[in-house]
Amino acid sequence: MFSNTLRLAWQLHHQEKGSVYNRSLRWIQSILMVFIVTLSLTSESVQDYLNNNLQNLLGADLVLSQSHPLSQAQWAELKGLSKNAINTQQITATLTHNGQWQRATLKAVGEDYPLQGEMKTSSALGEEAVSTAVVPAEGEIWLDPRLLSSLSVDMGDTLMIAQQAFIVSRVLHHEPDRLMEGHNVDMRALINRNDLPGLNVADDNMHYRYLVLASKSQTHAIINWQKTHLPAARIHHKQGAHPLALFWKRTENFIGLASVVLFFMAAIAIQQIAQVKMKKEQFFTAVCLSLGASRASGVQIALIKWVLSILSMLPAVVFFCTLCHWLIVQWLASNLIQLEWQFSLSRFIEPLLASMLIFAVFQAPVWMALKQSSVRQLVYNSHNKGSALVSIGCALLVLVGVAATYSDNGLLTVMVLGAMLSCVALMLLSSWVSLTLGEKLTSRHSGLVPFALFMMKQRLLTKTTQILGVGLCAFLLLFTLMLLRDIGNTMQGYKRQHDGNLMVSQASEAQMRDVILWADEHGAELRQSKPFMHAKLIAVNQQRLEDFADKPSGSLATLQSAIRLHWTDVVPHNNRVVEGTWWQPSEPDWQQISVEEEVMSDLGLQLGDRLTFYIGEQSVEFTIAASHVYTPGAGSITFWIQMPPSALSHLQAPRYYMASLELAPSAFTRLSDLWQAHPSLRMVPMKEMIARFDNLLAMVTRVVSGFALLIISLAGIVIVSSVHALEANERKKNSVIMSFGLSRGTCLRVNGIEWLTTALIAAAGAIMGTWVAGLLIYQSQFSMNYQPDVPWLLTTLAIIVLVVMALGLIASRTSLNSSIRDLMQE
Amino acid sequence: MPLSTNSQIELTNVSQSFETQQHQVVLFQDLNLSIQQGQSYAIMGPSGSGKSSLLMLASGLEKPTQGKATYLTNEQVQPLEALRKDIGFIFQQFHLLPELDALNNVALPLKLRGQKGAEQKARQWLEKVGLGHRLTHKPKQLSGGEQQRVAIARALVFEPRFIFADEPTGNLDAVSAKEVTEILFSCCKEHGAGLVLVTHSEALAEQAESLLMFKDGQCSWIRQSNQEPCHVQ
Ligand SMILES: Nc1ncnc2c1ncn2[C@@H]1O[C@H](COP(=O)(O)OP(=O)(O)O)[C@@H](O)[C@H]1O
Ligand SMILES: [Mg+2]
Repeated sequence: MFSNTLRLAWQLHHQEKGSVYNRSLRWIQSILMVFIVTLSLTSESVQDYLNNNLQNLLGADLVLSQSHPLSQAQWAELKGLSKNAINTQQITATLTHNGQWQRATLKAVGEDYPLQGEMKTSSALGEEAVSTAVVPAEGEIWLDPRLLSSLSVDMGDTLMIAQQAFIVSRVLHHEPDRLMEGHNVDMRALINRNDLPGLNVADDNMHYRYLVLASKSQTHAIINWQKTHLPAARIHHKQGAHPLALFWKRTENFIGLASVVLFFMAAIAIQQIAQVKMKKEQFFTAVCLSLGASRASGVQIALIKWVLSILSMLPAVVFFCTLCHWLIVQWLASNLIQLEWQFSLSRFIEPLLASMLIFAVFQAPVWMALKQSSVRQLVYNSHNKGSALVSIGCALLVLVGVAATYSDNGLLTVMVLGAMLSCVALMLLSSWVSLTLGEKLTSRHSGLVPFALFMMKQRLLTKTTQILGVGLCAFLLLFTLMLLRDIGNTMQGYKRQHDGNLMVSQASEAQMRDVILWADEHGAELRQSKPFMHAKLIAVNQQRLEDFADKPSGSLATLQSAIRLHWTDVVPHNNRVVEGTWWQPSEPDWQQISVEEEVMSDLGLQLGDRLTFYIGEQSVEFTIAASHVYTPGAGSITFWIQMPPSALSHLQAPRYYMASLELAPSAFTRLSDLWQAHPSLRMVPMKEMIARFDNLLAMVTRVVSGFALLIISLAGIVIVSSVHALEANERKKNSVIMSFGLSRGTCLRVNGIEWLTTALIAAAGAIMGTWVAGLLIYQSQFSMNYQPDVPWLLTTLAIIVLVVMALGLIASRTSLNSSIRDLMQE
Repeated sequence: MPLSTNSQIELTNVSQSFETQQHQVVLFQDLNLSIQQGQSYAIMGPSGSGKSSLLMLASGLEKPTQGKATYLTNEQVQPLEALRKDIGFIFQQFHLLPELDALNNVALPLKLRGQKGAEQKARQWLEKVGLGHRLTHKPKQLSGGEQQRVAIARALVFEPRFIFADEPTGNLDAVSAKEVTEILFSCCKEHGAGLVLVTHSEALAEQAESLLMFKDGQCSWIRQSNQEPCHVQ
């Protein structure tokens, strides 16, 4: 019995697979599957890589790092808890040579380095790297190849760092303890530990890393010891997670969230296709019923056909996923060195099953409508349209499901979904208003335009979905392109206006004094200068941070290392208090802070919560008294967490400054004087920052373009499937028009007018949406005045209209091929 | 206002056949037929014998495989394609546009041609077919007979010289069929339009001035008001 059903379903599947609605459905499902599976494969590759990275690049079983050295007693305790331990120190410094400069990580090691693994070096650029058991002798420095070429130094040259001479003696290729390889692409240099005191960098911004060999149980003992004795230290070990794992999880989540747009478009297209499919499936089931078969077998056949069609797609889907995955891995490999592509069929299973579940929910209304089919439909030649509520409910279920799966940040989710929803509402409203008005205004007139408008108004629902599909797609494209373009253009001028052309991101008090002296000497103007100290959040309401917040978020990722704590009596000009009250200058209570709003929402903090920070070498508890947000227009230096200055007398920790300056172009060449004296001074010319920003922008543009390609293909499918949903009606309409003695050209013109109207409304909606979004977002996020580029917008409008019309007419060509003969044969 | 009645469709020695995968289907051969404006013609015959095909051919929408089809109007001989704008159709399934009410369905041909006063003229026609009180009803709200009456008004409203009707009463009960038949014939007569109709109904065929019969692959006149016999092979 079942094998008969199966055979019949197989036969029907073969017969129907060429039909337009099945083809459109296959396209939609394939595109979504390729998207979901590729995202999941890529994410797994990256997580694998990070795991592998952790195993290979720790250079030890456990690494403990903090910003000040262990005391004698602590060092002895750590050694006692482990098989062996060594220490290294590292600092971010700017090296100079002949007026050129380059930021690099300077690492100082002793004879006992490396602890685990091998160091690779060569005697000159271009020569093969060999494993090396010695470390740089005193007075020597080893540079990595990129640093060598960016400073244009050769083997044997002398580098001056803080009045101390170093001879460049080897090329450094690989150190085994470079855990952060994937993330930290800083250039690197290696020196002997004994040279460090001469550099005068003392404690400011020095990083102390302790590499430890330990068994599993020792590792756990050390972790417990760290929790009680060194709560602000960071620990990485081979049993734990990579520090970047959360960051990648978040990236995946963001892309997943953005895919809600794809699913929305797919829902529109599938809804159109379902109208046709429902009719055909119901007809078939009704015929089965009239031939004495059970209703169940009709439903069974529909289900089996669906499974067959999905299975038939799989080879192509697997192929394209593999291809996309391979391409993305190649692309990422420039950032994640040694990321490798691997094929594994088993990894396809989970995302494929997930997407099949999604499609099944999309199809559910069709199957549900089958339950209502009856022989009556054959007698009256009618069909049941199915419940609109059910199809909307199913589509919503999918969208909510996708959003919930990928949502890790309430604020972001609400913003992304809110923007989309308002855009949809805007399009709906504008298509309803313009069609209704157009129809009302022309109803008294004769001619093709009134007729076309009238027919569109009659088919408002289908037309609106078409307009929505096209318009949403156009909006997204326009907006992202415009945003990227404008931000790129405006950033430079804007930053300069408020921040000057040189940013000092971290200077100790001594360094800051010299910076100010240097600025006076070279006629540079100090624009902003704000003090801070480092603080590491270790607990919230006495609960350890790791236990308090476990959802990945941008804030949490940053809070895992020390953040910058600013003090001020008055609310900074570029901040605004949104919740709670800021302290008065003379208040005796110094244990209160203000926390940035997004951090509050990411971590789920509330006013009155108590945060414990590790500052210097003491832990201090603060109560959240206020929450602030950044307001643009008064400089970009802002802090997540701020406290009253009265707290300073209770805290022992080095103080630093962030500052910005405006320099004459000629003064830039004199910057190396400052770095000569203070290699660890963190200072970036705006030009370099903009170059970094441009790189980021280029990467984002590539991702957006790839995404746009998916959106465009889905919009195309929306058009084709909506045309197909109305095809029977359209054919009839065209034949009837011809039976009035009018020509095929008239039909074509009516059709052209319909598509022109559709395209115009969609494009106008998209441009309106872009305009509004531009006004709102530019104002609130970047404080820029949005000045739309009218010729650019009009050109895009024209392109959208032309493309949509062409696509629409091509999709309608079957219905334009109708003839009066069709009306005679029923 | 009746039209000038001097147009004529001339089919000379036409044959129609279709190539299917294996064999050739021959519907008719060397058929001679002259259709005069103002006259009525009925075509009868079993299903699949080629009646609809003959309609397509006579209306100039399809070309015969052999033979000549011409259109004589205002003493000019033109190819049959020139007939396009002078003909209206009526179908078994009515084929009113479901989105439009009765008035707009009838006004549609005029509106598409950009004519003024379309709705007023449509209203007059609907009154003529006895539906003056149902102007705003959608096709779904009308019975079959009423729908066909709307279709007749729609086919005649733009004053074509010829009406082609393919089984116009095939979907109707006897009473409605009778009403529709009467309206169809009287309207065509009144406006001087030639009527060519395909039917299975003897009663309907009776009303036509000429009657052409397809039978056993043969085609012959049963009754003929004019000269111009139909030669049969
Ligand atoms: N384009 C075509 N190709 C092949 N066969 C056709 C074509 N058009 C009509 N026929 C065949 O011609 C025969 C006559 O059709 P038709 O004129 O519709 O018959 P009737 O209207 O008398 O029932 C049918 O068997 C039909 O299948
Ligand atoms: Mg027929």
